[in-house]
Amino acid sequence: MTDIARNRSLSAHSPESRWLPSSQGIVTGAILLFCGGLVAYPLVYLVAESLNTSGEDVFPPAAIGLSNYADLIDDWHVLANTAFVACLATVMAIVIGFLAAWTLTRTKLPGRPQLERLMELPYYMTPLVGALAWSILAAPRTGFVNQVWHGLGGGGDLVDIYSPFGIAWVMALFEGTVAFVMISAAMKSMDPALEESARVMGAGKWRTMLTVTLPLVMPGVLGAAVFVFAEMLGSFAAAFVLGLPARYVVITTAIWQAVQSFPPDYPRASALGIALFAVMFATLGFYRLIIRRGNFATITGKAFRPRTMAMGRLAWVLFAACVAYIVVAVVLPVATLLLTSCQRFATVILSQSQFTLANYQTAFGFGAVRSALTNSLVLGVGVATVGVPVMTVLVWIIYRSRAPGHGLVEYVVMFPQAVPRMVFGLALLWAWLNIPIPIYGTLWLLALAYFTVLLPLGMRTLAGVVLQIDKSLEECARVCGASWFYQLRTVTMPLLRPGIVAAWLLVFIASVRELGVSIFLVGPNAKVIAPSIVSAWLSSSSELSAALALIQTVAIFIAVIVLFRATRRYSQERA
Amino acid sequence: MSEARIEINDLVVRYGDVVAVDGVSLTVGQGEHVTLLGPSGCGKTTTLRAIAGLEEPSGGTIRIAGATVYSAAERRNVPAEKRGISMVFQSYAVWPHMSVFDNVAYGLRVRNLPRDKVATEVERALDLVQMRDFATRSAALLSGGQQQRVALARAIAFSPAVLLFDEPLSNLDAKLRAEMRVELRDLQRRLGVTSVYVTHDQEEALAISDRVVVMNVGGIEQIGTPENIYNRPKTRFVADFVGSANLIAGRVRGGASRPGVVGFDATGGMGLEALAGHAPTGREDWVAVRTAYIDIATDASNGRAGGMTNKIGGTIRQRLFHGDFIQYIVDSPVGQLTVRRPPTELFDEGAAVTLSFAREHCVLLEG
Repeated sequence: MTDIARNRSLSAHSPESRWLPSSQGIVTGAILLFCGGLVAYPLVYLVAESLNTSGEDVFPPAAIGLSNYADLIDDWHVLANTAFVACLATVMAIVIGFLAAWTLTRTKLPGRPQLERLMELPYYMTPLVGALAWSILAAPRTGFVNQVWHGLGGGGDLVDIYSPFGIAWVMALFEGTVAFVMISAAMKSMDPALEESARVMGAGKWRTMLTVTLPLVMPGVLGAAVFVFAEMLGSFAAAFVLGLPARYVVITTAIWQAVQSFPPDYPRASALGIALFAVMFATLGFYRLIIRRGNFATITGKAFRPRTMAMGRLAWVLFAACVAYIVVAVVLPVATLLLTSCQRFATVILSQSQFTLANYQTAFGFGAVRSALTNSLVLGVGVATVGVPVMTVLVWIIYRSRAPGHGLVEYVVMFPQAVPRMVFGLALLWAWLNIPIPIYGTLWLLALAYFTVLLPLGMRTLAGVVLQIDKSLEECARVCGASWFYQLRTVTMPLLRPGIVAAWLLVFIASVRELGVSIFLVGPNAKVIAPSIVSAWLSSSSELSAALALIQTVAIFIAVIVLFRATRRYSQERA
Repeated sequence: MSEARIEINDLVVRYGDVVAVDGVSLTVGQGEHVTLLGPSGCGKTTTLRAIAGLEEPSGGTIRIAGATVYSAAERRNVPAEKRGISMVFQSYAVWPHMSVFDNVAYGLRVRNLPRDKVATEVERALDLVQMRDFATRSAALLSGGQQQRVALARAIAFSPAVLLFDEPLSNLDAKLRAEMRVELRDLQRRLGVTSVYVTHDQEEALAISDRVVVMNVGGIEQIGTPENIYNRPKTRFVADFVGSANLIAGRVRGGASRPGVVGFDATGGMGLEALAGHAPTGREDWVAVRTAYIDIATDASNGRAGGMTNKIGGTIRQRLFHGDFIQYIVDSPVGQLTVRRPPTELFDEGAAVTLSFAREHCVLLEG
């Protein structure tokens, strides 16, 4: 009965050794080299430039010193502003995130599953779009809120979004979702038996909350706070749109100003960038530490169904609070943009408004703007289509392979997460200006940059799915006689399909809305949408930028709807 | 036991500083069913995975059907897919994105067999596990027991030279497990396929194996037939882990240097007659007596104990009714002894009794 096996398998008893470079080993090595180069090469240039004291922009620098860093002391107010805004926004985001997470995981609420889905929406509004909308809504004098206030006879301005509080407000609306997702994950991974045993021992509802629930959820909350803080440090759009009119400068906008000044002050920009990178790197290191330390009882990797409490009338208050968050973060900004984009001059006093579709005609008709739209879509589709299969193999190597160096791959590909987008964009700008390969100012450089900075996002999405796949499903294929590639094709990839679809859409979305890196890398023949919105804003056409922002938002929301559908079908299949 | 299908020599598997398997040597004959038995962490699964090619050893050799598939000296490590083996996984590893048919056909398709051949072989395999009616069913919709059968059919469909089992029954409930045990044994005999089976369940190991390999902390404690392992444990670990036994401390009497009957002075001064399976060195200090091999008699009933060589007086301290048997804890001069008797033999707690057992059931342990 063993003849089939003998025919096929015993013929393979030719010497075969894993000490010879295996296909996995070769692939791992190539990936390490390629991704390592993509990430490290620009940063080397940036570090060199930050040490450049020669006053001339040549590479390598003619004179090296620390004076650029010493000059940072003169920028102390910029550093202070950055810290202040980041702290303020973190506190606000955590409050939003914690309340929403607690409400949606621990209380009985009408329409909870739908609400949970909707809570993710603010994340897909970009800070740029949010900042634009809120500046139209709440700018002094011309803002819609103040227009209404004046119309009602109020004196002065009711609100002023051009302030650190305005920046923090817009950022917190955006990051609130991130905090919500992280904190509710921590709450869901807590075994309800831990609380139930406290109740059984005689502790009341509140005592249980204070002595068991909070201490167990605390590491999750702290982790979310540190993570959000790190993101705030590197954020650009809100500070750009809302800070500069009030001359309120943070590090990222200071970098932008240094590059835009004439002549560009690259050494100062680089020193600022490296400083920001160092702080962000340290913060994320701290985050990893917390996450690891906090691992004690709560996170078993298992998701529990938390016990929910009936809240009586309070449920409706909490429900209203969640809805209010979505309205303020999504509905109101989108409505504002819609209204503005259809007007000749932005106003909320409808009797004065002149409705027009001219802004959309410009967006779709004007060459530069139209090409920016097309380029963004092409880049989004291209980077996602080429990038996600590469990321899939990467994820597999990190979590499944035993090829030498597979652990290192994780550090290399997750590294871009620790580099603020602005800083990475600056590094790429400087690096590719100094290299004879003519891809600066083309879409190719943008594609390469997007792939690099979006690696962590795609990897995290795919890793979540890879880790859910029982290892023996793959081992079994090998034992049945399948080679590595055959196994990847017939077992791993099909099982990963939902994750691959999700990763594709997320990478597409992130590409279409990318700003921090793009703003330094766009050229006359390679425009993309987010920097075009910024240019339109700078040329003080809030109506055109509103139209562009809305187009971008619509493209993203279409992708989000597809994403939700795809993942819902997946979770139904699994259930 | 004719020609050897699997030969393992001095196998070592390390994870960093931890030695999971430490010098295991083992031979499995053609058509033989060998079970690796031991507590978790004893290296049994690692050994099995090394045979499969899923774990890379650090030393030794593994030969399957005469061909070297792993050799540290020759720097050879044939990947899993080229070893001509098959495996049933603890989690079944039935692919949820395929139908039952596709699951079972996988190994056949990998080998590029023609369509009709694939169909007949799959049917044959599904017939063997009584799952023919489920061929078109999606594998995601199967119960645990059904997945188990599909995993089994998939493993045997391409007629592998060697079949490996990694705790295949441990996820089933007790009743189903007992049924599957019977079926597995039957199937293994019918196919005559060489198999290596891993389990931590000693009852399962004894019931379905031709030979049992008892493992502990990375090494082999004892290899033998189920009866041999049960009746002639060599070490305290085997006596304790397989079945239930009383361990009595003491010292072997000097003089004896050949296998056979020896004298044993139990701690507390009691003299026993024991059987040594090996040539005693004079330093042995434990004997083992299976709980099922000890008779109990009250002074009143005083009957069948007559022919037994070892007699110990004692008092029944505790009686636990288990249904299929009654377990007595008896205080005696050699310590507390556990005795299992059929539920028909009822004694009261506190009763003075005489325990007796034959010398061939009092086994001198090697260490």
